[in-house]
Amino acid sequence: MAIDRFTGENSILFIRSEQLFDWARRHSLWYMAFGIACCAIEGLMHASGPRFDFDRHGVFFRASPRQADVMIVAGTVNEKMAATVRRLYDQMPEPKWVIAMGACASTGGPFREYPNVVMGVDKVVPVDVYVPGCPPRPESVQYAFFRLMDKISEKTGERLAARHGSAG
Amino acid sequence: MRPDTAALARTLSAVGLKGIEIDDVASLGVVVRATPSNVHTVLRALKESEDGFEFLVDLFGIDTGDAVDVVYHLRSFGRDEDLYVKIDMDYGSDLKSVWEIFPAALMPERECAEMFGLTLSGHPNPKHLLLTKGSEPLLLKEHPIRTAEEVRNR
Amino acid sequence: MDPRHLVEHAGWLTDTPPTDVGFVPASLRRAPMGVDALDTERLIVNMGPQHPSTHGVLRVLLELDGEEVVAAESVIGYLHRGIEKLAEHRRYNAVGTLMDRGDYVSGIHNELAFALAAEAIMEIEVPRRAQWLRVLMAELNRIASHLVWYGTFGLDTGAMGQFLYAVRDREALLDILEDVTGQRMMFNYVRPGGVVADITPTAVEKIHAFLSTIDTHLDEHDQLLGGNEIFQGRVRGVGTIDLETAIAFGLTGANLRASGLGFDVRKDRPYAAYDEMDFAVPMSSDGDCLARYLVRMGEMREAVRIVRQCIEGLPEGEFMAKVPKVLRPPVGEAYAAVESPRGELGVHLVSDGSDTPYRMRYRPPALYALQAAEAILPGTLLADAVVILGSVDVVLGEIDR
Repeated sequence: MAIDRFTGENSILFIRSEQLFDWARRHSLWYMAFGIACCAIEGLMHASGPRFDFDRHGVFFRASPRQADVMIVAGTVNEKMAATVRRLYDQMPEPKWVIAMGACASTGGPFREYPNVVMGVDKVVPVDVYVPGCPPRPESVQYAFFRLMDKISEKTGERLAARHGSAG
Repeated sequence: MRPDTAALARTLSAVGLKGIEIDDVASLGVVVRATPSNVHTVLRALKESEDGFEFLVDLFGIDTGDAVDVVYHLRSFGRDEDLYVKIDMDYGSDLKSVWEIFPAALMPERECAEMFGLTLSGHPNPKHLLLTKGSEPLLLKEHPIRTAEEVRNR
Repeated sequence: MDPRHLVEHAGWLTDTPPTDVGFVPASLRRAPMGVDALDTERLIVNMGPQHPSTHGVLRVLLELDGEEVVAAESVIGYLHRGIEKLAEHRRYNAVGTLMDRGDYVSGIHNELAFALAAEAIMEIEVPRRAQWLRVLMAELNRIASHLVWYGTFGLDTGAMGQFLYAVRDREALLDILEDVTGQRMMFNYVRPGGVVADITPTAVEKIHAFLSTIDTHLDEHDQLLGGNEIFQGRVRGVGTIDLETAIAFGLTGANLRASGLGFDVRKDRPYAAYDEMDFAVPMSSDGDCLARYLVRMGEMREAVRIVRQCIEGLPEGEFMAKVPKVLRPPVGEAYAAVESPRGELGVHLVSDGSDTPYRMRYRPPALYALQAAEAILPGTLLADAVVILGSVDVVLGEIDR
């Protein structure tokens, strides 16, 4: 359809404006202050503290899921918690990303053998970046945010490729 | 640190409890062996004796293989002594709450009941504490943890 | 026009309307006759499990009448991950990794409690240097843990700056702990028989650097939060736990000492090398949130004193007793308690002679503190409920285990 080439999802106008928005999103990744377990001390407390100071990357915490872009799952998710995690994820506005921080959120970690523990939060919500470690150092979380920024900027390339693929 | 077993026996016989077994376990301390039917009388007598055991340090269960041992760990600040009261509960039997004697038992009792598959009576809020409703009593030995195979194929 | 003052609300609604008033603007019109008070409705407010002031995943159901709490019930278990069960399937040297993740803010204390219980069954003689290193690390960890409490308690009362200062000092402490143990939080440093590694020369330097600044920093903390009039207004006389309630609900540690009973496991049941240390036990008999604040701040100063003594008088010798690689304690039962930053942290260990514990019970001090806080919540205001829950210092990893 000719009109789609100018206004649809493949239009250059859409792609370029999304690129602008992605640039803005990349530099204001606000995460939800939602610490489950040990990782919260490292990934949320020390990360916003004076040494690591995530604010300088535009990474800042919000108390409400309605205002957050990123959910850091910082800790073990068990069956009682899983429903809450899913609900919080559903409450976040699009676009949204999830960082699985630490061994517990990635696979269940040291507690994976306990029948009540969910073996990885990816069984509950889609995960964008996994951070290894138990708990990961704040530097690792910082690197996870950089990877997430890369992932967001790759979006434009994917869209352009899709456009050329469909145009050709 | 360790209460005098003779004095304990006197305290218990004063309220009409004769022949209660009192062990002195070397590595642990003094253990009073009560039964589910008389544990309330025992705990009340111990609490209300002079410089009594008014502080419940902990309450928990042990799956011994033939029964669930419920342990009441008491402390007297006045005498600076610790004491253990143990009762043997059959699997699936009814744990009578002692919260009126020791309010500190409110939450540990709920945990003990759900983790060892006991029912809880006389408790103001006998819901599950840690697990979701319908979970199995996970601390019983018959409930295994996940195998390496299950973990690998997560 | 209505001649009465706008701001005098008392009686405004119940006055009979004047008869000589002509035009009344809509905004000044009276309430309908017969309404003599605002009807209130009981309201259930759900706080958590995702709430910034619940220190993790605590969920509290509050029944409110207006702003007053009528009933409170805490719902826990959102972080239950089976430390007690998994310990039955781990060898004695590996249980420490699980214990660390219990009360994750003060890992050394958890490991120490387990190691002491295992040593009591096995009757291991721990070298003196190891005992001193345990005390040194435990007290550094206590300061780090109290700083977390200090920072987040300020957040609960509405302050923000002190949090950043607390994290600054905590970073210095974590550097020391990392230097010695290799990890910032999950140390697995204290094992049955001693400790895993000796203190390093760089760590000694870092401790000296830390000690040279911490006194002024603690004064700074005290002025920043404790000297703040708004903070004092929010904590003085709020959430009073009297001694009877404290004992009835099993309160221990700093919370119990703030209520007027000076029981400290370090003094009354000395473990490690605490009988060789010279320190005081801060106490108060007020039982309110301010008392708990003052007791914890005092404890930090005493911990600094103990660290000074440790680093000056650290004895020479081995840091690990000669113990086999795989520990097999004889059949037995033991209870060992430590004074963790949250109270009496006990481990009740049952051994059946195999290389894994038969049953490991972890006495969670914060669970009992939560019960006591829950018991005094009815009758307080909603805004105070947050402060009370913050003041008793709960860590959910330990409550749920």
